[in-house]
Amino acid sequence: MYTRKKILFTALFFTGLVFTACSRPAKKNPEENMVKQIPAIIKDSNLLSIDRSPMDMIYFPVDYPKEKMANPGLQDPLARVIYSRPQKNGRLIFADTSVTKNVIQHYGQEWRLGANEATEIEFFKTATINGKRIAPGRYIIYCIPSPDKWKIIFNSNLFSWGLHMDKNKDITETDIAAINNDRPAEYFTMVFQNAAYGCNLVMEWGDVKAIMPISFN
Amino acid sequence: MRSLLTLIILCFSFSTTRSQSKMPALDKSPMDMSYYPNNFPLLKIQDKITEPLIARVVYSRPQKAGRVIFGELIEYGKVWRLGANEATEIEFYKDVKISNSKIKKGRYTLYCIPYADKWTLILNKETDTWGSFKYDMKKDLLRVTIPVQKQVELTEEFVMAFEKISGGAALAIAWDDVKLTLPISF
Repeated sequence: MYTRKKILFTALFFTGLVFTACSRPAKKNPEENMVKQIPAIIKDSNLLSIDRSPMDMIYFPVDYPKEKMANPGLQDPLARVIYSRPQKNGRLIFADTSVTKNVIQHYGQEWRLGANEATEIEFFKTATINGKRIAPGRYIIYCIPSPDKWKIIFNSNLFSWGLHMDKNKDITETDIAAINNDRPAEYFTMVFQNAAYGCNLVMEWGDVKAIMPISFN
Repeated sequence: MRSLLTLIILCFSFSTTRSQSKMPALDKSPMDMSYYPNNFPLLKIQDKITEPLIARVVYSRPQKAGRVIFGELIEYGKVWRLGANEATEIEFYKDVKISNSKIKKGRYTLYCIPYADKWTLILNKETDTWGSFKYDMKKDLLRVTIPVQKQVELTEEFVMAFEKISGGAALAIAWDDVKLTLPISF
């Protein structure tokens, strides 16, 4: 019985190892290697606590920081976005102004493409979007959604909270198609995906997905 | 044994599904941002700015989750990325001084080497990188040693925030029973 148990434990241990190896990046962080323990009752510091709509950051080339770790001579990144990820939480995400209850965002009104701070995009090289050239530098972007398209607006009012857009600082705007997202997203998500001409900035939330084509030269 | 085999297969199929899914899940150690002046973006849209933006830190927030952090989870004497995931980034919007060294405005990474009673904080020029795995000492701009203050009230989520001090600001760093402050003058 003892031996059987031992075998079972050993097998389980290795299964765990295989599982861990498959589901995580190859380089492991020490804090992620730890076995999760039942948290003791800890009083939070009265410093900031974790956001309900946590911040996230994406790069193009995709996963640039990890790529750079594997290949230190990598050339500079092309783009970076810092945004926050609100949660659908059973609400309607987009609706026209006749809907007043349980809706997050009305069509035709400015939306910060996230939560909290205005969403920030930085180009490290000149970018072209739908024929419009955008100089290297940092911008905030926001959106005016419609059922079939999103107007994406680049603005220079950096380091501002996303609830008030200073229209005088708009730089350029472009319409992109909003399509049905076949795999509904609970959290607002932005990712860069490779494309023949450069990349797509894919934005999705709920059953809506919008794709912004970007090329670099 | 058959149930064990099933378990192994299940694990494999689960991890395959995960790697196929392209859209990222929420991070276990979510990213956050702190500014000096504190809450600068909110103050900005409320027209309440009284001093210009000096600094911003972008970092990720691992949680204590019942673990002993310093000396165990984070080993003493080894470079730590001050957070999780991407290397922690600090940006200055004007030239500042840290420990009498002039730091030009710009974007840097911030690391530390913790010890029980003091930490060495490292400002490095290599940005947009992951963790401290490829940390390169040759790209250091500055190393400064600051004392550890023990705190009675534990901090569950690793946190960094600026505090106003005379002649500048201090970057306060806290996790578990440890707090440190890095004075920055400008």
